[in-house]
Amino acid sequence: MAGGTWIMRASLRGERRKAVHVVLDGIDELHEFQADTLTRIGAMTTHARIAQLTEPALAALARAAATSAFPAVRNVATLGGNLRATPFPEADLVPALLASEARVELAGRRGALTTGIEEFLAAPRPAEELVVSAVIPAPARRISGYQRLTVRGGGEYPVASVALSADVRDDGLVEAARVAIGSVESTARLCLEAGRTLVGRPLTADTAEAAGRVAAQECTPREDAGAPGWYRAAVLPELLRRIGASIAGGATQA
Amino acid sequence: MRVAFRVNGVPVEADVGGMEPLLEILRDRFGLTGAKLGCGEGRCGACSVIVDGRTIASCLYPIVLADNQAVRTVEGLAAADGPLDPIQDALLEHGAVQCGACIPGVLMTLTALLERVAQPTEEVIRQELTGNICRCTGYHAIVDAVLDLTTTTSE
Repeated sequence: MAGGTWIMRASLRGERRKAVHVVLDGIDELHEFQADTLTRIGAMTTHARIAQLTEPALAALARAAATSAFPAVRNVATLGGNLRATPFPEADLVPALLASEARVELAGRRGALTTGIEEFLAAPRPAEELVVSAVIPAPARRISGYQRLTVRGGGEYPVASVALSADVRDDGLVEAARVAIGSVESTARLCLEAGRTLVGRPLTADTAEAAGRVAAQECTPREDAGAPGWYRAAVLPELLRRIGASIAGGATQA
Repeated sequence: MRVAFRVNGVPVEADVGGMEPLLEILRDRFGLTGAKLGCGEGRCGACSVIVDGRTIASCLYPIVLADNQAVRTVEGLAAADGPLDPIQDALLEHGAVQCGACIPGVLMTLTALLERVAQPTEEVIRQELTGNICRCTGYHAIVDAVLDLTTTTSE
């Protein structure tokens, strides 16, 4: 158990809490925090701390952390918890980690293991496996942003969320881009086609919106009481437009 | 298991299962009923207390995590027979307290904020209060009280 904010709400989800929990707080490795060209964020790092990251390449992750839930929850909820809470389609950090090409360092019975975030998300994880940290590349000329849509504003779970990370050449054109969406399907995912549409083009509100239209085609949105599926897909172009507008407007963070 | 921590500066111990919410222990074992159970899911802020200098939702905070920590609740802001805390005074002066259910949580959020940022902007204050729901609703008066307090004391 990290911050416990997910586990403590088990009964609200109709789940039964496990009989035994082990507090991970005393393990130093899980608290590591290094910001460099490779940023390593320990699993016990809180959303409040992640929100303070300032590198443009990590702006999506910082924004996802800063806009997730509420201050008193962000002070406690961790990166590792956000990755291990399942099923949790609305987890804010996950799409940001996907767009940022994060790798996940794990520890299990067979020792240490590092895996790409996509692979990590692809299948249920062994119960005894620990998330140790996320390792995120932060190369120069990488910019990123994150937007989430809530029905009421404030810290509700998002109806849809989008993370965009792009590598921009000196001439201002996009060399590579990754679009990831959260809360739309049962697990956050990359929209590869949407990212490709940005390659060779400048990153603007319009090009980002166009990528959002592709993302809306690419996904299979889920239906629940929070929002109908068509709506989750329909808002993606606008969310990407907001990211594009913010980046084009000079901000490194959207 | 036994947990030992400080509540408003006083060392306390409790025999617990470990996963009881801190809120439950504060209210039912120690009689500190300022923090309240509202939503039970970390969005209303009625249960806000300060642990290790940070505001947390005590309804979602397993008591085991409080071991060795310093917990502060609204009861610790002013002595029973002493003057109120300046933030409490400011809220009263601005008519920011109506039914009062949210106020213990609001006070702890504001206390932690002002310890971190001496003169927060209106935007920062509002952002920090997004997790403290007031249904009366006195948000404007609460924000004005903080702005008034922080600009007055700095001059």
